[in-house]
Amino acid sequence: MTPTKQQLLWMYGAMTKARYYEDTMAAAYMEGKSPKFDIGAGPVPGEMHLAAGQEPCAAGVCVHLRADDTVTATHRPHHAAIAKGVDLEKMTAEIFGKKTGLAGGRGGHMHLFDPAVNFACSGIIAEGTGPAVGAALAAKLKGTDAVAVSYLGEGAANQGAFHESLNLAALWRLPAIFVVEDNAWGISVPKSKATSVADTSVRAAGYGMPGVRIADNDTLKIFEAAGEAVARARKGDGPTLIEIETYRYYGHFQGDPEVYRPKQEVPALKAKDPIDRLRTHMLANGVSVAEADAVVAQARKEVDEAFAFARESAYPAPQEALQHVFA
Amino acid sequence: MADVRIPDDLWDTSKTPEGIVANWFYRDGSEVPANETIAEIMVEKTNYEIAAPAAGTLRITVPKDGVVRPGTVIGRIEG
Amino acid sequence: MANQQSNRILTVSRAMSEAIAQEMRSDPSVFVMGEDIATYGGIFGATAGLLDEFGEARVRDTPISETAFIGAGVGAAMAGMRPIVELMFVDFFGVCMDAIYNLAAKNTFFSGGNCKVPLVIMTATGGGYSDAGQHSQTLHATFAHLPGLKVIAPSNAYDAKGLMISAIRDDNPVLYMFHKGLQGLAWMAWPETAANVVPDEAYTVPFGEAKIVRPGKDVTIVAISMMVHRAMEAAAELEKQGVDAEVIDLRTLVPLDRETVIKSVAKTGRLIVVDEDYSSYGMSAEIITSVAEHDPGALKARPQRIAFPDIPIPYSRPMEQWALPNADKIRVAAQEMLGRKAA
Repeated sequence: MTPTKQQLLWMYGAMTKARYYEDTMAAAYMEGKSPKFDIGAGPVPGEMHLAAGQEPCAAGVCVHLRADDTVTATHRPHHAAIAKGVDLEKMTAEIFGKKTGLAGGRGGHMHLFDPAVNFACSGIIAEGTGPAVGAALAAKLKGTDAVAVSYLGEGAANQGAFHESLNLAALWRLPAIFVVEDNAWGISVPKSKATSVADTSVRAAGYGMPGVRIADNDTLKIFEAAGEAVARARKGDGPTLIEIETYRYYGHFQGDPEVYRPKQEVPALKAKDPIDRLRTHMLANGVSVAEADAVVAQARKEVDEAFAFARESAYPAPQEALQHVFA
Repeated sequence: MADVRIPDDLWDTSKTPEGIVANWFYRDGSEVPANETIAEIMVEKTNYEIAAPAAGTLRITVPKDGVVRPGTVIGRIEG
Repeated sequence: MANQQSNRILTVSRAMSEAIAQEMRSDPSVFVMGEDIATYGGIFGATAGLLDEFGEARVRDTPISETAFIGAGVGAAMAGMRPIVELMFVDFFGVCMDAIYNLAAKNTFFSGGNCKVPLVIMTATGGGYSDAGQHSQTLHATFAHLPGLKVIAPSNAYDAKGLMISAIRDDNPVLYMFHKGLQGLAWMAWPETAANVVPDEAYTVPFGEAKIVRPGKDVTIVAISMMVHRAMEAAAELEKQGVDAEVIDLRTLVPLDRETVIKSVAKTGRLIVVDEDYSSYGMSAEIITSVAEHDPGALKARPQRIAFPDIPIPYSRPMEQWALPNADKIRVAAQEMLGRKAA
C-alpha cells in the first residue's frame, strides 16, 4: 500500500504541525521557569510531555481515520491529537488553563477530550486501552464500520490493562488497533530492563491477533501497516497490535535532566529525522518544493494562531471548578 | 579560611548559564566537618552537591534561591 | 531520644533516603523496588544514592507493573524479607489496590496472626503545582479507611526519618504517604519549615502519637502533612489578633491518636481540621466525629473542616489554588468560631 500524493502531503502537514507545536510548547513551558525551575510557575505550569520525534506514529496511523473513528492517547498526546484533528485553538487554550479550552481549563495537557473527533487522552499508563476497546464495541453494537486506536508506550505493555484489553478485543473480534510507541525509555528505565521480550509485537500472538513491528520510525511502513490494520478492523476481522520503533527528542517530561540517556543519542536521532526523510521521499515522488513549503507555512500559521489564541484568552473564574463534576 | 566555591567546570554554561542555590544543609554560623555535603545547587533540573572544603564555622554569602554560575563563591569556612 | 547535638538540616527527601540507607546497612533483608527508584533515585528523591551504595539486587527498577511488583512485595515480605516498594504517585493506586487492601492488609488476619507482612509502601501525594486530577491527590482517607494497613503522613524531615525507620522495623504493612511539596526538591516550591535538624544516627518516631507543634488555648487546629504548615501560618496570623491556636500534627493516620485531639478540644472547645484530601467521607469527618462521640458538650462552636471540595482536582491554576485549603481559610474559620468578624 503506497500513499497517494494527497496522503503524503497530509502526513507531512500533520508531522510538521506536530513538530512545530512541540518546539513552540517547549519554549512556552520554560517561560517563568528560569533560572529557578519551579514546576508550578509560568503560563504553562505542571508537567509537560512532548512527542517531538514521534510524529510518524500519529500521522502514519491517523491518515487512515475518519472523524467517527476513536483515538485514545497518553500523557504524551499532542502529536496524536493534532493528527486526529482536535481543535488546535481549544487544545492550546486548555494546556494554558484558559476558559476557552476544551474543558475550560479543568483537564490540562494530559486530559484532552474532543468528542467532535472522538479523541481522548489520560495520564495513567495503559488505561486508554480499555476505553478504545469500548469504543470499538460500541461501533460493533451500532453496526458501523468505525474503528478505535489506542496509543500506548512500550512501558505500558507491561501493565495489566494492556493484557486484558488485547484479550478482550481479540475474543470479541473488535475493530481495535493497539499502537505501541516504543521510544526505548520508560522515564529512566530502558526497554531492556522493563520488558521480557525485545519485540513487543510478538505478544499479539499470545492474544490471537496479528502483530507487526515497524523499525526505525519509518512513516511509509507505518502507513502501510496501519492501512492494513484499519482495513481489517473495518471488515470485521478484529484487532491488530502494531509496535513502532520511535524516538523522543525531549526528556520524559520537560525539565528531565536525562542523566540516564547517553549524550550522543539525541543528536544521532536528529540526523535521521523522520520529517526530513518524508520530505525527501515526497520531493522524489511528484511533490514540488513549493507544495511542500506551502504545507509547512500553513502548519506554522495554524500553530502560531493557536498559541496566540491561548495566550489572549481569559482564565476561568475560580468557582467554575465546581461545574461539570456531574452532567 | 576557605571559600565554598562552585567548581568552574560544574556544568555546560552554553546551554544553561545560571543555576540556583537549592538548599543549605547547615545554618549560618554552624560548625561543619570537612568534606560534608553542606549545600545543593540546581541547574535547570539537575542537582549538584557542594562539600565543605575544610572543617570550621560556615558563613553563608549566597542564600537559598540565590543565582549562581560556575566559580561563584557561595560561602566561607572560618577557623 | 535522638542526639541533641546535631545541627544538620535535611530536606524530607534526604531524611527518607538516609533512613532507608541506614536500615539497609543494618538489615540485609531490607530491599527497595519501584519505578525509576534506582538510576534516577526516585522521581521525588526518596531513594537518591541507594543504587550506588547497595547495587541492583537490592535497589530494583521495576517495569510499569504495579499489581505485580506490589503483589511481589507482599509475597517477599511473607517470605521473610522487608521490602520497601514505591508507588510513584498515590493516584496510581487504582491499578494495584487489590495487592494493598486485600492482600497486604488482610493476610495477617486471615492467617490468625501466623503470617506477617512487614512491607512498606511509600507513595507521593499532594498537589498545588498544576499537575491536574490524576497526579495531585492526597487520598488519606481512602487508605486509612481499610483495616489492616498502618498509614503515615509526616510533615517534616525529623519525623520523616524517624517514621520511615519505624515503618521499616514494623512487622505490619505500612503505607508511607509523603507529600511532593514537602520533599525539598529544588524544582517544586516547598515550605522552609519542612526541613529541620535531623540527627545523624538511626532513631524512631512512634506510630499513634500526634504532636502538638504549637500549644494554645483558644482553638484546636488538627492538620495532616502539608496542611500542618498552612495551620502554622494561620496560627502566626491569629496570634497577631490575640488568638492563641493549638496546632496538632497527626503524623500517623492509622493508628490514630484521638486522645491528643480530645484532650486539646476539652481545653479549647473549638475544633478545625485541615486536610488536603477531599472533604466528604474523610479524615476530617473522622476527627470531628471522634471528638463528638467522646463528649459533644466539649464543643463551644460548630467544628469546621477545611478540605478540598468534592471535585476532581482542576488543572487551571486559579481553580486549583481557589479550591486548596490555605492559611487564610483556616484563619477565617478560627475567627468565626471566636465570634469575631473575619479581617
